[in-house]
Amino acid sequence: MTNTNSLLEITNLKKYYGLTKAVDDVSFNIENEEIVTIIGRSGAGKSTIMRCINRLVMNNGGSIKVDGIEIGNDISKKQLLEARCKIGFIFQHFNLVYRLTVFQNVMHGVLGRISTFDGIIGRYPEDDKEKAYEILKSIGLEDQIYKRAGELSGGQKQRVAIARALMQEPKLLLCDEPIASLDPITSRTIMDLIVDQAKQRGIACLINLHQVEFAKEYSTRIIGMREGKLVFDDTPINLTNDKINEIYGSTDDIDELNPEYELAAVSGGAVAVGY
Amino acid sequence: MATDNKVSQGTGIDEPSNHERHTTNLLDRIKNKHRSTMNSQHNNILVPEEVKKLKKLYNIIIVIVLLAFILATIQTNFNPVIIFAKGGNFIDFVVNDLTPPNFKGVLGLGDALLQTIAMSMISTFFGGIIAFCLCFFASYQTAPHPSTVKIVRGFASMQRNIPNTIWLFIFRMTFGIGTTIGMVALLFNTTGRLTRMFAEVVDEVGKESMEALDSVGAGYLKKLFQCVIPASIPGFVSWLLYSAEINIRAAGVVGALGGGGIGLILSSYLSVFRYKTAFGIILIMAATTILVSLVTDYLRKKVLV
Repeated sequence: MTNTNSLLEITNLKKYYGLTKAVDDVSFNIENEEIVTIIGRSGAGKSTIMRCINRLVMNNGGSIKVDGIEIGNDISKKQLLEARCKIGFIFQHFNLVYRLTVFQNVMHGVLGRISTFDGIIGRYPEDDKEKAYEILKSIGLEDQIYKRAGELSGGQKQRVAIARALMQEPKLLLCDEPIASLDPITSRTIMDLIVDQAKQRGIACLINLHQVEFAKEYSTRIIGMREGKLVFDDTPINLTNDKINEIYGSTDDIDELNPEYELAAVSGGAVAVGY
Repeated sequence: MATDNKVSQGTGIDEPSNHERHTTNLLDRIKNKHRSTMNSQHNNILVPEEVKKLKKLYNIIIVIVLLAFILATIQTNFNPVIIFAKGGNFIDFVVNDLTPPNFKGVLGLGDALLQTIAMSMISTFFGGIIAFCLCFFASYQTAPHPSTVKIVRGFASMQRNIPNTIWLFIFRMTFGIGTTIGMVALLFNTTGRLTRMFAEVVDEVGKESMEALDSVGAGYLKKLFQCVIPASIPGFVSWLLYSAEINIRAAGVVGALGGGGIGLILSSYLSVFRYKTAFGIILIMAATTILVSLVTDYLRKKVLV
């Protein structure tokens, strides 16, 4: 915990939604060039941690340090924008501006660095434009540059979002369920792309996943979350089936955790039985 | 069921017994539950109690609506028979006084027609510009402070809910007859309507893309110009074109009441009983309106791809 060289330091992070403890006293560090995945059931607090890191949601306690800068309640607006500049974020639903072209969307990655006036009229530095072209070429979208982002397929949209994040030249890339709305084959290409690019550019990744197999395959470290608490933090090899059960809970727990589940199963099941 | 899938995926194939046991348990419980319900009420399965209640409610509503209609008819002395009884007058007026339309007098009215068109277009254009500036203060997504939403929306509602004709009446008292007051009356109404509609368009811009621009470290103005405005443009254009259509229709009425243009000329012909020329003007106005809506339809298809 006292290692001051960590890229990301999360200490005793807490986030409550009303009485629900979405994130409850979570601490972990991420070093440079690490690929870390967070696994856990829906509602375990995975996304909330991600969103706390670049302050899309505000935490109720604990501290977050990115590259030595404390991202807390007393951060100034300017500092926050600068900090966000260094953190790439990839969303489940791509979050592009669908009316704009692929190129314009990719150029959004440098918005944090240019002046407000340039940002308003969309005037970007020439070398950034060249870099955007290079990135688009390297991810195989150079033919789609002037297409509207809304006309692309899901996998292509996510690639544009990755290009946008790479334009930020981030030190840390947060991926919030990047493949949850994609088919299995596209999922694999997207995961390959994220991890390859991150390794090439020396970017540390924090990826939120639902697929345990992918987490084991791609990451250097896995974090397991359950009901807002960190219950596993180790290398993929040590993620045994017992540990997976601990993170996800066994099927018997479901009734106790979620009484509506049983009712849904009963009413849904009636059709299956044939009444 | 979705949770179920996920869990079985998580545990893998190592423990199928656990999952199986759970499923059979559920099946037993379902069967038991259904057996008891089947025994207790098996003759009423097709028409449940709720549906019966709903039907009764519908019948009551129909009776209430009928009663309200009868009462309203008595109250307003509305007499549908009069349309048939005096229908002869109507036909007489149309056949003898109104038709055939006289276009001879209309030919010199090109200027007045242009005035009416210009009035509606200018008011749409400037109304659009003002609404464009105001709408970001009236949308919950982009308002710099929540209070501006209430203030701007209140102002817009006031402009919108007082009809064109009333605005014109107010201005006529103060500035006299002419195209200027016609235009201003239309402008007031348009601004109010468009501010409200534009704000709703902005409200519907996806929170997701705004969040993305937050995540790259873009400030308020950059977000506005790089995300909110590009995403809103189809909505803005659509409402603007609709407004142009409304205004060309309204410009005739506003003109007739003192707003100038061809409407004013129409009302003067009507007041001196020159109905045939008036009818010519009405037909020309109708043609113009249709033409404008054809143009806006075309533009809508072209722009909003």
